[in-house]
Amino acid sequence: MIITNLPIWIVDVAGSAAMIVLSLMCLRLALKLKRLDQSNVIWTYLAWVCYALCLFAFSRSAGHILKHVLVMTGRVNIWEAVRPLSGSINTLSFMVVSSVTLFFHRTWIIYRDIQNDKLALQSLSDELLFLNRHLERLVAERSKEVAVSERKYRRIFEVSKDMILVMGKDGIILELNPEGYAMLGLKRADSLNGKRFKDFFSDEKDWGRIEKMMERNGFVTNVEIELKRSDGARMGSLVSGSLDANQPGQEETIHFLVKDIEQRRMMEKQMAQADKLASIGQLSAGIAHEINNPLGVILGYSQLLLRNEKTETDRYNDLKTIEKHVKNCKSIVEDLLNFARSSKPEIKTTMINEAAEDVLNFILHHSKLDRIDIIRNYDERVPPMLLDEKKIRQVLINLLMNAGHAVGKKGSIKLSTEYVKQDNKVAITVADTGYGIEKKNLTRIFDPFFTTKPTGEGTGLGLSVSYGIVKSHGGEILVESEPGNGTIFTVLLPVVSPETGK
Amino acid sequence: MIQLTVMKQIICKSIRFLPVFLSVLFFSEKAMATQAHGGIEGVVAHQMAHIVFVGAMALLVYWLRQHGLVVNPGWRRIQYAAVFFLLWNINAFIVHFLEEQVDILDMAQIEFWQLRLQAQPGFEWSAWLYYIVKLDHLLCVPAMICLYSGLKRLLEAPASESRPGKMEGS
Repeated sequence: MIITNLPIWIVDVAGSAAMIVLSLMCLRLALKLKRLDQSNVIWTYLAWVCYALCLFAFSRSAGHILKHVLVMTGRVNIWEAVRPLSGSINTLSFMVVSSVTLFFHRTWIIYRDIQNDKLALQSLSDELLFLNRHLERLVAERSKEVAVSERKYRRIFEVSKDMILVMGKDGIILELNPEGYAMLGLKRADSLNGKRFKDFFSDEKDWGRIEKMMERNGFVTNVEIELKRSDGARMGSLVSGSLDANQPGQEETIHFLVKDIEQRRMMEKQMAQADKLASIGQLSAGIAHEINNPLGVILGYSQLLLRNEKTETDRYNDLKTIEKHVKNCKSIVEDLLNFARSSKPEIKTTMINEAAEDVLNFILHHSKLDRIDIIRNYDERVPPMLLDEKKIRQVLINLLMNAGHAVGKKGSIKLSTEYVKQDNKVAITVADTGYGIEKKNLTRIFDPFFTTKPTGEGTGLGLSVSYGIVKSHGGEILVESEPGNGTIFTVLLPVVSPETGK
Repeated sequence: MIQLTVMKQIICKSIRFLPVFLSVLFFSEKAMATQAHGGIEGVVAHQMAHIVFVGAMALLVYWLRQHGLVVNPGWRRIQYAAVFFLLWNINAFIVHFLEEQVDILDMAQIEFWQLRLQAQPGFEWSAWLYYIVKLDHLLCVPAMICLYSGLKRLLEAPASESRPGKMEGS
């Protein structure tokens, strides 16, 4: 077919011219971009792409235009000579454009890394600049925060009601809070120099146990031990501690927190004692009731028989013996009932000081206490109280008789009363300088029929009965004793006012 | 900056050898010690250059998309330029291919404004195809326009839009 060449010719010539113009315009823009930011490698890359495209556009378009001009002017032979060169340059220009384009990925990664590093440097620079400008203020603020924090923790250390102790790995006490000084019986003026924590343990095995746990776990929790104060007194304690090994540049230390559980232990003992006595009381009351009736019958019949019997006969004497022993039995049963608090107290207004003085005079009159110093110390503030006076007197008789027995031939007995206003209680104290009570017996002294006296000298019901009476009045009976240093019995009675009944 | 300086140094050194290269190119004579490169070799080399050009443009499009650059208008237009160049190369490849198929298609300029395209029976379509693909500037000129437009946008747009900022992509 024969077709017009004009569209191809126009598009070729105009397109070639346009390619040259456009490639130059692109190069101009790329160079502008580059000038805008000389260090930007991407703009440089685009400039190189445009250079390559210029080469491509010139080589190709100039060739095309030249071809048309030479063909139009009838110089085809010249074009045939130039054609291989033009085509080769054109091929080379493709390769150049392709090659430059292939660098895009690597260039972009380099640019990205440079840009990220630049941003990181800028951020760091800003931060440094900020720190530099505000260093003084920041240091002051930080110092203040540290001081406040230090003060706070120092206060916790100072005012803690538990012992806080810092110990080195060699066992030497490094720091001790005020409560620690008090618990260990040390004075603040005492130097801790060289003192070891383990020296305050009553039992070395306890320390060994803690050491092993610390080595194994790095901490101990709530280990019950007995501490030995500097004055020799023992104190039940609960120890927790942990190894502090994460202080850079500092030696390892062990921090201990020690709780005084002596009070708790004592309360537990007292509660156990009270439970035990309550159980014994119930048992005693049951037995006493059962025995009391037959004893009454025996006593009644023996007295009936005595009425018709002539005196001085053997039968009369036998019946008298029966009567005497039955009365003894009834007295014991009555004591047991008193201990069990089963008999109702006869309440009336009582002046404790007067009652105490009467009892003391009665004892002095009937017992051999001539060589014993009797010290009276009555508190005048003790108010009149609603009590079963007869039974309270019995308590005082029991305590004073026991004191007299404990003192023996020489010593002193102190009878004192005190009104404890804050608790609204009256404390009656009987203190002696006798041989005291052994520790093992302390928990048993209120048990019925427990006595250290020789057989036949005591029934072992005195303190049991006293305990029952005091408890029936809502009070407490406390004992402190050390063998060789005497005993102190304290009866605490709540004040019940005769006017208000409260 | 260091890399640019190195590249400049390499180019300057290469320019020194340009006269030697041109002398060899224009004034060389037949030497039995070397292989001759006449005939179809030039066309094959040219066609291969077009294929490489196609690959380069395809890779450029892929990288622009991979790095997420096409979200801003400047780079998106450069991507369009690459697509036009890619199509132009395919077009040019077809032109050169058809020009070599003398057994199928005979072409000759009979008058200055007239062209005779003689296709073998069954290959008439090749004549029309040749006529259309000869209008190849309809692809490469738009490619240059897109490139120009893209660069213009990069130059004029605010820094946050067109200038590559913090790179988070791969």
